[in-house]
Amino acid sequence: MKDQKTMAYLNMYAVLGTLENLCELDPKCKEILSGIKKPVSLCFDVKDGPAATIKFTSKGCRMEDGVKPCDIKIPVSSCEKFNQIIDGTVTPVPSKGFSKIGFLLKTFTALTDRLSEVMQPSEEAMKDREFFELNVKCTFYTIAVALAQIGNQDEIGKHSASYMVDGDILFGIKDGPTATLRVKDHHLVTIKQAPEKPRAIMKFSDIDLAYALFTGTANALECVCNGSIEIHGMASMIDNMNRLLDRVALYLG
Amino acid sequence: MSKYPEYSHEKGRACFDRALKVIPAGIYGHLGPSEGLWIPIQKWPFYSSKAQGSYFWDLDGNKYIDYMCAYGPNVLGYNDPDVDAAAMKQMKLGNCTTAPSSVMVDCAENLVDTVASADWAFFCKNGSDTTTLAVMTARAHTHKRKIIFLKGYYHGDFQWAQKIDYPGILPEDVCHNLVAPWFDIPALQKLYDDNDGDIAGLIAQPYDHGNFYDNVPANKEYWQGVRKWCDDHGVVLIFDDVRAGFRLDIAGSDHYYGIKADLICFCKALANGYNMSALCGGEHMKSTVSGMTYTGSYWMSAVPFAACIACIDKMKKIDLPNHCRKLGTQLTDGLKAAAANNGFDLVASGEPALFYLRIANDDSLMLHQEWVAECVCRGLFLASHHNHFINGSLTEDDVKTSIDIAEDAFNVVRKNHPELK
Repeated sequence: MKDQKTMAYLNMYAVLGTLENLCELDPKCKEILSGIKKPVSLCFDVKDGPAATIKFTSKGCRMEDGVKPCDIKIPVSSCEKFNQIIDGTVTPVPSKGFSKIGFLLKTFTALTDRLSEVMQPSEEAMKDREFFELNVKCTFYTIAVALAQIGNQDEIGKHSASYMVDGDILFGIKDGPTATLRVKDHHLVTIKQAPEKPRAIMKFSDIDLAYALFTGTANALECVCNGSIEIHGMASMIDNMNRLLDRVALYLG
Repeated sequence: MSKYPEYSHEKGRACFDRALKVIPAGIYGHLGPSEGLWIPIQKWPFYSSKAQGSYFWDLDGNKYIDYMCAYGPNVLGYNDPDVDAAAMKQMKLGNCTTAPSSVMVDCAENLVDTVASADWAFFCKNGSDTTTLAVMTARAHTHKRKIIFLKGYYHGDFQWAQKIDYPGILPEDVCHNLVAPWFDIPALQKLYDDNDGDIAGLIAQPYDHGNFYDNVPANKEYWQGVRKWCDDHGVVLIFDDVRAGFRLDIAGSDHYYGIKADLICFCKALANGYNMSALCGGEHMKSTVSGMTYTGSYWMSAVPFAACIACIDKMKKIDLPNHCRKLGTQLTDGLKAAAANNGFDLVASGEPALFYLRIANDDSLMLHQEWVAECVCRGLFLASHHNHFINGSLTEDDVKTSIDIAEDAFNVVRKNHPELK
């Protein structure tokens, strides 16, 4: 069963957070961003839930955890409401930054529309290899961040995290994106780059395999057996990360 | 130049590729690449073609000195002539029959005479069958619900013994499982108090022999303390001796630690590979077990009982625990010295009969996995994550050869890691 609070954390950091990567990888997003004359920061502050501030420039965007000084602030009354905003069934209302409403309505909406297009692609769109790779890379970052959120928020996910020893897990696709899942006292943090000294490694052989795993047409354990997933190091960390991956499918599948 | 050239596994790989098409994961479970942690998979033999004593051969004709012993069942050596002769003799008389063979009674009597805490034996097939029966029995006996496990536990793969986040497990399957740290009797009391005394049993392996960390032997003082605590609180003490059984003490690992468990589970070493398991217990538990609804199609097959009797008799004859302790110590001392010669710090922990190994030069186990892989592909079959097993057919010459292969493998790893100098 999905927990609304966990879902809100996923929506904030894993889904909205993927804007960082999309803006870096996607020419269409770069074009949208090129219209930004001065940096704009947008803060979502969810009551009893996550809070993050995203800073947009003409070059890209970066998300920071928490409420930071911002141009536009959107307070959200509950995790449920925030999830509805991300689903597109509720319109966000800012409490600050009415002069920047144009950014919210045009630029931000164009970026999130593009995010939806990439993350929920049509079959036709996926036939284009470039778009396919963009989808898989963005999905990778979404999943990598979702792992930490589920390990920290979801009741069953916390159980998996409780069995993880301290250290960095390298989670990646060969010749593709790589992330670090950092464990410290059973609290998880995702860093969108490879660790310097991983204590465990889980690497998919290629982007097509990653897609098959993300869409549930391949099983990670089976891939370990056939050698298409490479694992090294503290396997108990990977074992428990796999259990978190199972939960990611529940929330984002 | 390596003294022991690296094996290749073309035929094994081809067979595994066939398997992947018709068997989920090719080889599932602990004998396969995933749970068995074959890192990297290319270094492992996949399948065996034959086995004898302490060795098996793969499909490509490569020979291995086997310290996993099929993860325990090979306790006297593969194809032990005495056990096999007893099994073959019984096979000609009958095996899976409507009226069970009387060899079942002979086997139960043998176990009762052998295991110090046993007044009866209830036979099944796998370790999980017995741990499940033990937990059910504890609940039936006490009319209470909760079971205490000790951290790092493994009591088989039935739903109740898995964890809440495992695939296919419901929170309801494990909602009466409580976990206490090892060697902490006040923690048991806290769990008892926090749960209003609703504790049916405590299930534990004889000592902390979990995976991925140094194993920690117990002592008599600890187990005597636990025994007293269970007695004081009406909690059924269940010894899961599936893995360690008979290798520490022919009379049971509870006897080794100076206590009598209420229930004790055996499987792996019971019949030298013939498929059977047994739950044994004290007289005070017998009527409860008698009332359980619990059976299986092959649980009273006669051939494994005949094998079990021959196996127990031979384990006594050769003083198996002493043999395992002596050769386990020789081996681990030799491996540690071979490691030191190459600049590695190899830690051997747990009981020598079930030694656990870990290269302590890094905390990721990557070096350790690399060394184990180099050992395996040179004919020394080890595991990187799990305790090992000594068997009764192992010789001092086998130990010497094993240390020699291990030294060669250390040498290979050292050359691959000039940064470690």
